[in-house]
Amino acid sequence: MREYELVAGLETHVELSTKTKIFCGCTTAFGSEPNTHCCPICIGLPGTMPKLNRQAVRYAIMAGLATNCEINPIAKMDRKNYVYPDLPKAYQISQYDRPLCSNGYIQLQNGRKIRILRIHIEEDAGKLVHERGDTYVDYNRGGVPLIEIVTEPDIRSIDEAIEYVEKLQLIMRYIGVSDVKMQEGSLRCDVNISVRPKGAEQLGIRAEIKNMNSFAFMQKAMQYEFERQTDLLESGEQVVQETRRYNTDTGETEPMRGKEDAHDYRYFREPDLVTIETAPQEVEQIKAALPELPDAKFARYTEAYGLSETDANILIKYRRVAEFFDAAAKLVQTPKTVSNLIITQIFRRLSTEEQKEAFEIVVTPQTLAELIALRESGKINNNLLKSTLEQMLDTGKPVAALIDEKDLGGVDEATLREICRQVVAENPAAVQDYRGGKEAAFKALIGGVMKATRGKANALQATEILKSLL
Amino acid sequence: MKPVSKIKRLHAQMTAGELSCRELTQRYIDAIGRENGELNAYVLQTAQTALDTADAVDAKLRAGQPISMLEGIPMTLKDNISTDGIATTCCSKILQGYTPIYDATVWQTLKHENAVLLGKTNMDEFAMGSSCETSFYGAAGNPHHPDHVPGGSSGGVAAAVAANIAVYGLGSDTGGSIRQPASFCGVVGLKPTYGAVSRYGLIAYASSLDQIGPITASVEDAALVFDAISGKDEMDSTCTGARETTADQLTGEIRGLKIGVAKEYFDGIRQPTVKDALQKALQHFQSLGAQIVPFDLPILKYALPVYYILACAEASSNLGRYDGIRYGYRTAHYNGTHDMICKTRSEGFGAEVQRRILLGTYVLSSGYYDAYYKKAQNLRGTIVGAFHNAFTGCDVILAPTVPMTAFEKGFTAQDAVETYLTDICTVPVNIAGLPAVSIPCGADENGLPIGMQLIGNSFCEAVILNAAYSYEQTADAFIACDRGVR
Amino acid sequence: MVTREEILDIALLAKLSVDEEKLDELTKQMMDIIAFADTINAYEGQTGEFDNINGLSNVFREDTVVASYPREQILKNVDGGENGFFPVKKKM
Repeated sequence: MREYELVAGLETHVELSTKTKIFCGCTTAFGSEPNTHCCPICIGLPGTMPKLNRQAVRYAIMAGLATNCEINPIAKMDRKNYVYPDLPKAYQISQYDRPLCSNGYIQLQNGRKIRILRIHIEEDAGKLVHERGDTYVDYNRGGVPLIEIVTEPDIRSIDEAIEYVEKLQLIMRYIGVSDVKMQEGSLRCDVNISVRPKGAEQLGIRAEIKNMNSFAFMQKAMQYEFERQTDLLESGEQVVQETRRYNTDTGETEPMRGKEDAHDYRYFREPDLVTIETAPQEVEQIKAALPELPDAKFARYTEAYGLSETDANILIKYRRVAEFFDAAAKLVQTPKTVSNLIITQIFRRLSTEEQKEAFEIVVTPQTLAELIALRESGKINNNLLKSTLEQMLDTGKPVAALIDEKDLGGVDEATLREICRQVVAENPAAVQDYRGGKEAAFKALIGGVMKATRGKANALQATEILKSLL
Repeated sequence: MKPVSKIKRLHAQMTAGELSCRELTQRYIDAIGRENGELNAYVLQTAQTALDTADAVDAKLRAGQPISMLEGIPMTLKDNISTDGIATTCCSKILQGYTPIYDATVWQTLKHENAVLLGKTNMDEFAMGSSCETSFYGAAGNPHHPDHVPGGSSGGVAAAVAANIAVYGLGSDTGGSIRQPASFCGVVGLKPTYGAVSRYGLIAYASSLDQIGPITASVEDAALVFDAISGKDEMDSTCTGARETTADQLTGEIRGLKIGVAKEYFDGIRQPTVKDALQKALQHFQSLGAQIVPFDLPILKYALPVYYILACAEASSNLGRYDGIRYGYRTAHYNGTHDMICKTRSEGFGAEVQRRILLGTYVLSSGYYDAYYKKAQNLRGTIVGAFHNAFTGCDVILAPTVPMTAFEKGFTAQDAVETYLTDICTVPVNIAGLPAVSIPCGADENGLPIGMQLIGNSFCEAVILNAAYSYEQTADAFIACDRGVR
Repeated sequence: MVTREEILDIALLAKLSVDEEKLDELTKQMMDIIAFADTINAYEGQTGEFDNINGLSNVFREDTVVASYPREQILKNVDGGENGFFPVKKKM
């Protein structure tokens, strides 16, 4: 059997987190009683007209800039015509040949750039509920603004597809234009997938797979489709260009449309809306207002702060974590300490992705920085640093309330000398081992001193005293 | 006959206490009762609403409060202008049982002024036609000769105004649907500049061509109603409102006005009496001091097919929503959603509407888009440019409204394309988004009115209305119709 | 030239059902209408471009919530709907 290569392009729909729908003032709030977020415009009553939400346009431009797109100075809205019960006007107002953004890319960890062909705005459809063959329509979601992000067929593996979507999610979260929650449907992916013999230049015939509402399903659907198409080619058959749906029950993809759904969208300019012009100055303003993006953060963390790539990746994965890190790192001399405490100690308390995403902790970047400053000035040691942080995370109390003056004063020399004597006296075995040349035994003695002083002793001073006693 | 402003006269009588609004309204309701059987102008009468509004106006008058010019004036709306709580059907079976839950912006404005709505008037189904014969409620009749059509698609409004069973009405004009029936019925019809009047709530036929405008018994009335309904509207992105008011600019003085005449407009005239009337009108304008400027407009011969391609393309999309799910007619027997939608639409739309949906779907479909829709859209640009150029040499363009007078009922049923040809003089204005007013300029040998239109540059309603006013007040070309409220 | 099959395809897109016995007549009518539309292709001169009639751009609304309609209004034209939905029975 020949070796085959997967070629994929993604069409990702992202629901924008505007307060109102794209063409009317109804709320976009999720999960309410059916048909309660509706008005004559979004149920398409005869005679109603759309009015474009300025914020939806702005969000789309932000998404374009964050994915290295050009912002087209002239864009327009078009009608995509098809009759379906969830589409109340029988056309979706979308963008056809003049989208808001084009020619961007997202770079993967392996250095490959997945080119973005275009990003356009459009309206979401309503929702159909099927019961015993009857259909019930709810238009609450109808008219919620979406952006559709279309890539070139640049993806070469399932892992790349997933990394691309994760990265896209991350960027959208950073710029705050969407929740991008796959389960709630605020991020939806369609994959155009084809296979070809490895090394071949020409693209194979593609199938489009819809309805993958989790990364797990996306992975399974792509794997299934890759194998299905490979088998077809191996047995000398042709892949049919069609739309397929991933069936979560069977784990297979299956053709989606019958003849009655034959589609020819008959795009034409939406006569009820006017041209969208975006001046270069406006693009610059929006660009300037964008937050620092994951790639830039990664570069800064590894280059300026000297974090490992692994640690940097963990921090940037969660927008709030990265923000917390940035705030604390500015206030300390050793940003690496901040990163270590977050990744090892704080994350122990946040087991799920959602918890890490939310990053709800009682410690502020300022109080964490205060604590780290004590360690950096040698006033406390690592043990006290860690135990105090635990208490801070439990209680939310400030540093000063947990470490008193006495602790910070450390232990005076006379007391320390007395304690060292006691430790030497109480550990004859360790003393003997040390004297016999076992350097490791010294650690046990230092440990003893620290235990007796509850970690307050200056380790350097204790070492000197112990060595003189031995 | 020299028409005067009915609105101004009635307003004066009411404010002077000579006439109560209820009395006036009742006269119109009674007249509708006498006339509508023969004319079928009204498809829905709203007598109770009208009387309630009239009482509110009378209360204001009794309290000595001032009333606005249109307040208390009995009027009508074409059945494609949405009225909250009052059925709006586009005279189509597919909208049977539909009641809007919101008001069209124009109606909201007039309702706020206590306009007295007598009812909704007859039209060609979805405004697709020029005879009022494709109405689900049956044809309307021409008040001058009830065996003839009143024109269309706003035939009901024009018939009601001509028969004086409404003081004025609002129609819509996509390819001539205000001007053509105004011409056939011997009244004044103004198609405003695209974007001068809000389309919000007008049930769309072809969104880039549709405009709402007044049909009235005199030019001054048209100006008064236009001033009231024009204006920027937050609900219609394409609506910027008028640039100026018009009623206060009707001086009747047109010395030095340059009237452009393109022979292409006159080539298709089928009746010698129509040609004669237009010639006489031109001479009359010259006698008033206007200057005639001949020019060529060869692109005009493409206007009609361009219009039908663009209008039907947009219509095929606008009419996609009638699927029986959210409102209106739904077929009684079906198996599955697809079957329900197809049956509902095939049973609910009439033959002409279905033909236009099919043409529109065809010209937009892949493989035909470039040769039809795209080419027509580009030609639209060319036509816009040609008019723009024409207005560098003249102030108004004079043309026949229709190349004929009102035809007999049944004429249009014979040949779709033959019928389309009657729109030849009206559609160019819609393609170019220009304002045009049709006014009577005589009658043919059967006493049926002849109309002419004065076309202006964008947002120059005041110029064409003043030209029309100067003619109306001096030419004695209006044809009296002895019907309705005396 | 338009064929019977094309008319059926177009009708399917437009969600109209065409009676078999009326198909020939409809095809003939559509042939005439399309031939009429086709006369624009006789024009060989330069064509302009068309954007929107008054050349408008950037008409927006602000992202401010406006109260939605009460559900009984939204469902008014389907006799109040069913459990808050627009119902479409499978079969009638």
